[in-house]
Amino acid sequence: MDNHDDPRNGTVQPDSKKPKLTHPISSHELLHEFSHHQTAVARINNGSFGSCPRSILTAQTTWQLRFLQQPDDFFFNTLRNGILDSRKIIKNLINADDVEEISLIDNATTAAAIVLQQIGHHFSSGKFCRNDTVIIFHCAYQAVKKSIEAYVIPVGGSVIEVELPFPVNSNEEIIAEFKKGIERGKINGGRVRLAIIDHITSMPSVVIPVRELIRVCRENEVDQVFVDGAHALGSMEVDVKEIGADFYVSNLYKWFFSPPSVAFMYCNKNKKLNDVHHPVVAHEYGNGLPAESAWVGMRDYSPQLVVPSIMEFVNRFEGGIEGIMKRNHNMVVKMGVMLKEAWGTNLGSPPEMCASMIMIGLPSKIRVMSDDDALRLRFYLRVYHAIEVPVYYQALGNGERDARDKDGFITGYVRISHQVYNIVDDYNRLKTAIIQLLQDGKICSELPKE
Amino acid sequence: MAFHDQNNNHTNGEVSKKPKLSFSAITDTEIQSEFSHHDPTVARLNNGAFGCCPSSVLAAQRQWQLKSLRQPDHFYFNHLQKGILHSRTIIKDLVNAQHVNEISIVDNASTATAIVLQQASWAFQEGKFNKGDSVVMLHYAYGSVKKAIEAYVTRAGGRVIEVPLTFPVTSEDDIIREFRHVLEKTKSEGSSNKVRLAVIDHVTSMPSMVIPVKELVKICREEGVDQVFVDAAHAVGCTPRVDMQEIGADFYTSNLHKWFFCPPSVAFIYTRKSVNSVDLHHPVVSHEYGNGLAIESSWIGNRDYSAQLVVPTVMEFVNRFEGGIEGIKERNHDCVVEMGEMLVEAWGTHLGTPHHMSASMVMVGLPPSLGIMNECDAMNLRTHLREFFGVEVPIYFRDGGEVGCVSGYARISYQVYNKVDDYYKFRDAINQLVSDGLTCAFLSS
Repeated sequence: MDNHDDPRNGTVQPDSKKPKLTHPISSHELLHEFSHHQTAVARINNGSFGSCPRSILTAQTTWQLRFLQQPDDFFFNTLRNGILDSRKIIKNLINADDVEEISLIDNATTAAAIVLQQIGHHFSSGKFCRNDTVIIFHCAYQAVKKSIEAYVIPVGGSVIEVELPFPVNSNEEIIAEFKKGIERGKINGGRVRLAIIDHITSMPSVVIPVRELIRVCRENEVDQVFVDGAHALGSMEVDVKEIGADFYVSNLYKWFFSPPSVAFMYCNKNKKLNDVHHPVVAHEYGNGLPAESAWVGMRDYSPQLVVPSIMEFVNRFEGGIEGIMKRNHNMVVKMGVMLKEAWGTNLGSPPEMCASMIMIGLPSKIRVMSDDDALRLRFYLRVYHAIEVPVYYQALGNGERDARDKDGFITGYVRISHQVYNIVDDYNRLKTAIIQLLQDGKICSELPKE
Repeated sequence: MAFHDQNNNHTNGEVSKKPKLSFSAITDTEIQSEFSHHDPTVARLNNGAFGCCPSSVLAAQRQWQLKSLRQPDHFYFNHLQKGILHSRTIIKDLVNAQHVNEISIVDNASTATAIVLQQASWAFQEGKFNKGDSVVMLHYAYGSVKKAIEAYVTRAGGRVIEVPLTFPVTSEDDIIREFRHVLEKTKSEGSSNKVRLAVIDHVTSMPSMVIPVKELVKICREEGVDQVFVDAAHAVGCTPRVDMQEIGADFYTSNLHKWFFCPPSVAFIYTRKSVNSVDLHHPVVSHEYGNGLAIESSWIGNRDYSAQLVVPTVMEFVNRFEGGIEGIKERNHDCVVEMGEMLVEAWGTHLGTPHHMSASMVMVGLPPSLGIMNECDAMNLRTHLREFFGVEVPIYFRDGGEVGCVSGYARISYQVYNKVDDYYKFRDAINQLVSDGLTCAFLSS
């Protein structure tokens, strides 16, 4: 992957990212770091729940014990500084200007609540009008859609869903659909008040050309742009200044090795977004989102405190986090190509529109004809083959876009991930399991239900 | 006194609370071992702030965490919901709720407060409550609750009325009278101004006193208050009579990590089933939105839910004590009161609350010569005690007293790990400060 336009290649990195290696982590050490993973499971779903190495879990336990030892002392003298240290590291990683732009929260779902609550307030107060809209992709994460239902719809806002072309061949296809969506929002004199753009969609998983879409938003006077980068940190380069969003969230526990769970939320200070609050109000209410998020009542804040340990961990790898991302990407593409060729199917998107996950078409003969079929197949693979991989059902309907193999239309995809603990055998097992199903003449609806 | 009644009068779900007969109670050595991770150099007199968690519960928590980390998809699909339901069922029995659907598990009382106040805010916005209708709270309501009321209620057009309370307090009658007076006065101002929600502490934080919630809820019903929310952050494991039927509130929340030995952090919110016209939601919206608060709260995005899953293990722990959680509460109360009396006698001061209005915490007057003149002084003294004497205790500054009178109170807690020496250490520290002629003015310079 030597495409210079590839955002993953990045620019010259500041020193904090380049490791001083004496020796890179050995394969033996790596095995040990993930020895708590269930052996014999081909764990190719890092995208859902992430993973956390032993040394980070140990660091977390140390923080937890320090709190339990003398919680008052910890609260007054240690907690805030520890969170600040983590925030500073994140700020550097994502090229934010000011650490005050960085808050640590539980997960991307919490960020959605924060952004949409304040949007809801603008509708209630009359600042936004009844015709105004929020624009999202139709495959936006379910929690985001529900947050809109909870906070925007009841106060008069409406939603525009942009169809994500899938399988997709180029960024231009996505940009074109998005532009159409924006135009729909301007009908009847309405304004698009908020665009929620995934950096990497969840299901089906595709890397979205966020910079270009945000440019379209600015050209069309969209008030606020919220990039849901739930998968981004640790799977692709995140440069918030370059991306240009008003809000950006990414989980740290998916691809950045933190324990469950912690995410960062970036709020562009130049945008002067006031009225952005954590929904759980505590003592720090009104002191800015970073302060509010650093104390939402009594909690275990240890996941927020281990970021320095995470940097130490990733810097044990050749090339640090950059190296990890590059190798994960190369491997997941290689495995994806291997599978599609073995099955005679397709990739859901070209390699340059993937990060550390890729969608591979399932043979049409397996007949994934519904979400239920997808779940059955997933369950079957988990229980009978000890393979953990999410399965996606793609309804037909686009005519030219509908992918085919030699036997019919491709309506099912697996989303494979590659993280440092994965081995080639994980993917060979998936290859074989599907081929076996084909040879047995089984289809999804015949598989046992959970 | 309250505690003696309690052991005789239980009529509900006792099986889960009372330990089996012919068992050998946990020994002192075992207790110390369970809390061996506590800093041994510190006299830890502030269980009320951050609570405590025994090693056996921490070990169980780690097991849950490892189970999830091992194979998180499998855990999510096959174990998580079952585990949370189990915890909710135990809590339901513990607090005598009628149905497990009335019990939702959340992180802490702050989250529960956000849930209740959010629906009140919507009610104002939708016109169900009129602008100018009010929310009543106690003067000593927790600081962040007051902020939450400001964020959710004032902003939506509601009025906030505080019930004045005095401290030191001598009797519950004062509180009951003040509360009734406020509600009657609001009513008499005109029928257009209704009291829509009353937020009542079960045990106030600072200064700490047990509030007669049962009586106050009754007054609310008599005066036509729409909703009653009891903020019982400390209550479970600390106050007697945490009984949803008896108290009769619409919403009730308590932390379980303060006095019920859970790891940080977990709390429950009880929502009375008959309040079915009220739409309660967790503020962090996820897949389960619309499926009821309990289900919504059981999945608010990817999290470590292990603290919510150890409630069964905590029940096992408390049942190793004579009398289970009731026995623990009774002994904690007797001890904290005894220690309080010992301290006030040693210092020539007085308690801020009578025995029956103290649960497992009591406010102990500090010698006036220390010169606590403001909240800063109280914090400086607290820091000084921590750093120079190894004593951890929160200090309350009481405004408006006469010169030369007690103006500062320490809130001492008693939990199963405490020893008499902890309180002697505190006594001696203060005596030392007094005999050294140290004042807070000196500390702040």
